[in-house]
Amino acid sequence: MRNWFLGSTIALAVALAFLAVARAQTDHSGAAKTDAKATGFDPHDLAGIWNPAPFMQPIGEVNPLDLGGHPNPLPPFTPAGEAAYLANAKFIAAGAVLDCDPFGVSRNFFTPRPFEILLTRDRLVQHFEYYDNWREIWTDGRKIPADVDPEYMGYSIGRWDGDTFVVDSAAYNGKAFLTWQGFPISESMHQTERWQRLDQDTLKIVFTFDDPKNYAKPWSITFFWKLRKDWVMDAHPCTLSAIKEYDDRVNHADKLPGRDYSKPEKK
Amino acid sequence: MKSKLIKGFGLIAGLLIVCVPMFAHHGGSDYDIQHPRTLKGTVTEFFWSNPHCQVFLDSKDDSNKVVNWTIETLAPAVLRRAGWSRETLHPGDQITITFVPSKKGTPVGMLRKVVLPDGSELSGGALGEQPQQ
Repeated sequence: MRNWFLGSTIALAVALAFLAVARAQTDHSGAAKTDAKATGFDPHDLAGIWNPAPFMQPIGEVNPLDLGGHPNPLPPFTPAGEAAYLANAKFIAAGAVLDCDPFGVSRNFFTPRPFEILLTRDRLVQHFEYYDNWREIWTDGRKIPADVDPEYMGYSIGRWDGDTFVVDSAAYNGKAFLTWQGFPISESMHQTERWQRLDQDTLKIVFTFDDPKNYAKPWSITFFWKLRKDWVMDAHPCTLSAIKEYDDRVNHADKLPGRDYSKPEKK
Repeated sequence: MKSKLIKGFGLIAGLLIVCVPMFAHHGGSDYDIQHPRTLKGTVTEFFWSNPHCQVFLDSKDDSNKVVNWTIETLAPAVLRRAGWSRETLHPGDQITITFVPSKKGTPVGMLRKVVLPDGSELSGGALGEQPQQ
């Protein structure tokens, strides 16, 4: 009887220990997690509309909104990366940026317009208001497929590391710009993001860009967003007809050439 | 250290303000943000559309000649959050408009704020969160 009781107790203890380990593995959590009741917000609940707060970026980093023509500091370009940047900057200065190609992930983040996060069973979905771009981040534990076709928005996977949501993305097609300044992205880009909800209203993301074709070493940008509970997303699709009308009404009135509709799309 | 931080914040805020016309104008040209202008005039058209709305305004110049100005705004989404709608302006409305003019000297500008016929004022909206003053 006594042996039966002792055996049952040990078996129960082993089972509980197993469940605890299994739960920790499910959470992918090596770090301490914040108690939502104590802080008034759940750091794992990222749903909502987030508006960028560029003024919160730490001083000394590459500023993705330094659009005066001479951004300082510049990323650590390779010679090929610098040449690509200068070509892109010339393209932008000529007004040829008036097209509707998807922005790619990072340029969407660094556009001073909101994005909304939607959470589903297996994905975190971002809807960027500007030009109506969408991004899926898979959260079901999958890896980035080796044979996935490169795309403007790449392919993204995410997992929780304590209270930090870690995103890896790759499979970019090399046709988008990293920022509005025209910093390049090649097909070798591997982008890492570390998302942290710092408080009820503040989201911080540290981006690290690892693209050996264009940059001599990985480099980072830290950016912040504020939660806008009272906002709804607005419609801002890009259509060539609207761009052409804008050209006719504004750019031509200002004696700017606008987009050259007689030429094919940029390569 | 504190003053350095404040200086840095000021610099970044300044860069943000500088960047606004660049976003607005798409074509790489920019506006003379150091010399905003204010005009009184009559709305001839209010065009509510992406990528940017436009206010067309007849206003008399120094020689009493009527000039039709093209004043672009930010996108409808940004204006809506600043209290605008597609019905905010109509042809014939008498308004006072503040804008930054094109550096080319053309009658083109980027809207900063407008005083409506009833005396109420609307800003041209903001891109991203702004630092608290």
